[in-house]
Amino acid sequence: MSLTLNLLVNGVALGALIFLIAIGLSLIFGLMGVLNFAHGAIFIWGAYIGWAVYGATGSFWLGALAGTAVGLVIGFLMERLFIRKFYDNHVGQILLTLGLMIVLIELLKIVFGPNILGFDKPESLQGVVTLLEDSFPVYRIFLIGVGLLVLLGTHFMLTKTKIGMIIRAGVQDPEMVQALGINVRRVFTGVFACGAALAAFGGVMSGPSFGSIHPELGMLNQLNAFIVIVIGGIGNHIGAALGALLVGILQTFMAYYVPDVALAVNVALMALVLILRPQGLFGARG
Amino acid sequence: MRTRSWLTNRKVWGLLLLVALLALPFVGTSKFLLSMMISVFILAVYGMSYDLLLGYTGIVSFGHAIFFGTGAYAVGILLTKVKNPDLLPVALLIGVAIAAVTAFVIGLLSLRVKDVYFSMITLAFAELFFIFADKFSELTGGSDGIPYVRVPAIFNDRTTFYFLALAFLVLVYLILHRIVHSPLGRTLQAIRENEQRAQSLGYNVLRYKLASLVISGIVAALAGGMWAVLQKYVNTSVLSLDQTISALLMTIIGGVGTLFGAVLGAGVITFAQEWLSQAFDRWFLIFGVLYVLIVMFFPKGILGTIRDKWTGKRQGGAQNGVSSDQRGRSVS
Repeated sequence: MSLTLNLLVNGVALGALIFLIAIGLSLIFGLMGVLNFAHGAIFIWGAYIGWAVYGATGSFWLGALAGTAVGLVIGFLMERLFIRKFYDNHVGQILLTLGLMIVLIELLKIVFGPNILGFDKPESLQGVVTLLEDSFPVYRIFLIGVGLLVLLGTHFMLTKTKIGMIIRAGVQDPEMVQALGINVRRVFTGVFACGAALAAFGGVMSGPSFGSIHPELGMLNQLNAFIVIVIGGIGNHIGAALGALLVGILQTFMAYYVPDVALAVNVALMALVLILRPQGLFGARG
Repeated sequence: MRTRSWLTNRKVWGLLLLVALLALPFVGTSKFLLSMMISVFILAVYGMSYDLLLGYTGIVSFGHAIFFGTGAYAVGILLTKVKNPDLLPVALLIGVAIAAVTAFVIGLLSLRVKDVYFSMITLAFAELFFIFADKFSELTGGSDGIPYVRVPAIFNDRTTFYFLALAFLVLVYLILHRIVHSPLGRTLQAIRENEQRAQSLGYNVLRYKLASLVISGIVAALAGGMWAVLQKYVNTSVLSLDQTISALLMTIIGGVGTLFGAVLGAGVITFAQEWLSQAFDRWFLIFGVLYVLIVMFFPKGILGTIRDKWTGKRQGGAQNGVSSDQRGRSVS
């Protein structure tokens, strides 16, 4: 019982991390039709910048802030300098973002080296909490809280604010939004940069959770986020959250009971969803 | 002003190149250079198989290593377990069969949905294959791989291997050339240019894309098998994302939508890699930057750009895989 509960909490925490990557990826894809294959590279850049600033200043929060800011800048520059020229060219977008992924990862290896770096939990988030006679690592609980906050924030932003309304309308029909006199391109840049910032933030948060970081983590987490998007449906933040939860829990249980096939189960789940419900489990559009 | 002089005749240039390549072993070429050329020939076949997808059908697979790796592992595992190197043709056939079935299944799952999904799903499947090869170490040797693959005696002589690899390249080139100029190839190019139009003309787009993926997978598996014969060992790197990226680099740098572009790309990449990796630890960055620049500014690669200069064309029509693609589609 206690083991199941522990795994469940771990799974939800992992789901929260994957959600941070998937939400940006999903909104960018939903709004602009761009599937950003460099998203995982931004995630891992966030983790490394967070690690460096945390190490230099001793403050995890400053590290999180710096990592997120770098993600925002990378996202902004990427959209302005590269993606912008490729909105009417799907094949070009895919090729371009993969190229940017290669460049970002290689640059990361030049700056920080290709090896594994240890990433400690901040002091305030170490230790365990005892709930219902079970003890859980504080950091996992913290991650779940962060994920929940981001979900609520995104939900509020999308459903209650004007900019959220524009984004949702843009997901439905960008040309109509443009025709109504709203500068969709500027919204695109904003969403792209914010999505990148969230991924980078997720990167910093993932560091203490995994205990160490290395460049390949970017691709691995990006794959999980892709699977989440397929499962949850495109451009749908609730779908992304539920998909991330499902993938996180499944991954954690599988990693414990049959570690060799943990990723295989997620890919199999994705294949199943593609056969039965190509628009995603929680997606409305085809 | 397009004069059909021998200078612009592709057949003449192709034959001249072939003669030069045939003469290469007789002019005192070192064993090292011959081995390099053999890699170029095999990788060129791999690159051409990718170009059939990217350049001629307009779909971007990020899982091409699956087929290359399947071919390589089929040869590596079979020749090591059976201990009879003369079974190479059987091993190649098994590799091809597995690759064809895999391509069919993955294609059926992923080609029905939006085209960006295809890239993403092939990437996920490639990761799956990579992990399987890593975990099932009884069969694959795990991350250590399969060392000392025993190959047929005929491949032990570098010069003979050189000619065999060249023949392999020329044969595959001719077959693929035939395919892309057949009604099937024309239909694939029609799908690349405008999928909706091809659909409304009555073509079953899914079926044609599947055919393209299966043919491409078969050719890549053959290249992977030959690669195992050349390297005499197989490890998980043949299934890695880098292996897929290498196909992508060859095709993009050489020229999308021309079979010969992939051959040129294979040459450029293999020699540049050899040279760069001695000079600079993170040489891959240079390829990455070059790749991004080409996608941004020279979407036709080296060959396409040169050809456009020669023939005075500004806007290429039929041979253009990247830039004129899907212009009719809206953002969504």
